[in-house]
Amino acid sequence: MSKKALLEQPAALPAAADGKTKSARRRPRNLWFTVGPFAVFLALFALVAILRPAFLTGGGMAILAVQAATILLVALGQAMVLHVGSIDLSNAAIVIFAAIILAQTLGPLGGIAPIVTLALVTVIGAANGFLVAFGQIPSFALTLGTLGILQAASLVISNATTVYATANNQLLAPLFGTALAGLPMAFWVGVVLAVGLWAFLRFTRAGEGMTAVGLNETGALFSGLRTRWFKVVAFALSGLLAGVAGILVIAQAGAASSFGLGSDLLLPGIAAAIVGGTAITGGITNPINIVFGALTVALVPIGAAAVGITPQAQSLVYGLVIIAAVALTMGRGHNEVVK
Amino acid sequence: MTDKDTGTGLLEAAPSPSQPPLRAGRRFDVKNLGEVLALIGLIAAFAALNPATFLSPENLRTILDHASLPLIIGVGATLVILTGSIDLSVEGVMGAAGMTFVLLTANSRGSADFGPWAIVAGLAVGVGLGLLSGLVHTRLKVPSFIVTLGVWFVGLGIATVLFGDQSIPFLPDGGIKAWPSTLTFGLPNSFLLAAAFVLAGMFVARFTRLGRFAYAIGDSEEISRGNGIPVLRYKLYVFIVAGGCSAAAGVLAALKLGAGSATVGVGTLFLTIAAVVIGGTSLGGGKGGILRTAIGVLMLTVLNNGLILSGVSPNIQSAVSGTVLIAAVLVATWPHRSRLRIVK
Repeated sequence: MSKKALLEQPAALPAAADGKTKSARRRPRNLWFTVGPFAVFLALFALVAILRPAFLTGGGMAILAVQAATILLVALGQAMVLHVGSIDLSNAAIVIFAAIILAQTLGPLGGIAPIVTLALVTVIGAANGFLVAFGQIPSFALTLGTLGILQAASLVISNATTVYATANNQLLAPLFGTALAGLPMAFWVGVVLAVGLWAFLRFTRAGEGMTAVGLNETGALFSGLRTRWFKVVAFALSGLLAGVAGILVIAQAGAASSFGLGSDLLLPGIAAAIVGGTAITGGITNPINIVFGALTVALVPIGAAAVGITPQAQSLVYGLVIIAAVALTMGRGHNEVVK
Repeated sequence: MTDKDTGTGLLEAAPSPSQPPLRAGRRFDVKNLGEVLALIGLIAAFAALNPATFLSPENLRTILDHASLPLIIGVGATLVILTGSIDLSVEGVMGAAGMTFVLLTANSRGSADFGPWAIVAGLAVGVGLGLLSGLVHTRLKVPSFIVTLGVWFVGLGIATVLFGDQSIPFLPDGGIKAWPSTLTFGLPNSFLLAAAFVLAGMFVARFTRLGRFAYAIGDSEEISRGNGIPVLRYKLYVFIVAGGCSAAAGVLAALKLGAGSATVGVGTLFLTIAAVVIGGTSLGGGKGGILRTAIGVLMLTVLNNGLILSGVSPNIQSAVSGTVLIAAVLVATWPHRSRLRIVK
């Protein structure tokens, strides 16, 4: 974000006013970029709480955190890919694939099963990234293709039915069974990962390289950065986080199927990443804000139900709120080309 | 790195002096025939695998009937993608337009009967949703990906609200419900309608301001603006056209189904966008065409139909479409590979 501001300054202020006015003109927008997603969530939450006070006392926050946990993980993975300027349409399909694999291996392999699952889906994610970076296939087309392949793979390995995790379920039980500050552990796992990713983007060479790729890929390439490998890393992270989301699906439901819990995470995941202030053009991502993005996206259907909007109108409300939230939180320049 | 780059640079620069004389015959270039050859190859392969069934008139009519919805949507989707944007709202718009049409025509719920005006109302809903997408995208500068994602849900919501909690509204037997599958000149009406859309779309893309500007905007929005093209206005028009196409497909889908359903469009988005890309239209905008999309749609429809006839499990169909999509893009973009090429 601050990098974006730095890059923009020469263009935006050609007759460079002194530093004082510069910061005065910049600060409100930068401040909004930082707190916008939180403010939007807070406003929406306050609206629901005022209209239905029982939402606060009746454990509404815990329900919200349960719903937000899987969305958050998918959104974080999506944000990593958006950060390098690409998109991953296959990551929700990876969630289901991981959940089915885990349900089948949890009994025989026990504690190793989640690790095997995570390794497998990370490789799938990296394969996506490899094809985008070295096959030079546009990510939208490629991941649309792998989405189809993964859907078919999930159907085949599950025989198009629901796969139950029959043994060793107690290994995953603490994720939703125990609570910290009233919110389930699964949600805190997501928060910890978000903070970790924030530090990764901020303080590591790979993270800064990914930011450079997202902001100006040509520039990054001519600066001698291994831009291709940063893309592979981004897609591998997306696969890994989708795998964690798959583990949550099994922890929550104990079963997985191609049409069951978690099968419709693609669009909420993208929406949460964007509502969390991630620029779809790349380079501007704050993983911590995505926590609020995920909470906002999860709050819309729950809040709408709590307020008493008929179930039929829910997706209508959902669509309108997403458009409004994105219009409020996204960053935009004046002469920028928006596609 | 430098060696390789100079190499490709030289290779690319060399043929350019001989380009102008070739221009007259460029439409018959082998490269442009790739998709057509692939389609013919698919048809030949499935005809050889299933000699009795695949080429029978009934099966060919089934293929053309199945292709009709993605063909109609493909016209709008191609125009939007040519401008460099994307329209994901297809399934929602289909649902909203289809439900509007069913509830305003003669149906088992008896809600209303406005005859042909029901079709107009259905189309108007689609145009309205396209207008909404276009306005939010161009005025609020929200990326089209997100706007149309939202409008997808809005459309789905409108359809679900219209559906309400009453009984399913069925269309009466005979009459208008039979129209899509009725044969004219041996072809199903649904396909003839789709063909009319494709021809109209090709005309628009080639000979009208809307079409030419769509290509120009997709090629470079900044240069288009610099040349005085009202970019935002024409983007808005393109979204309206796309909304209209989706709505027409929604009405047709409702007719085929013979009932009102909010989820009448499920699966068409994936199929249509895959077809656009397989046909060779660039997702970056500026390159491609509606005829290419039509060939892409036919390829995917023939492939799905042929695989079912060959006894392949329907579970792996999406994998086949996905693999074809990746392979098609890989083959199409392989010659343009370069270490300095930026692919998003």
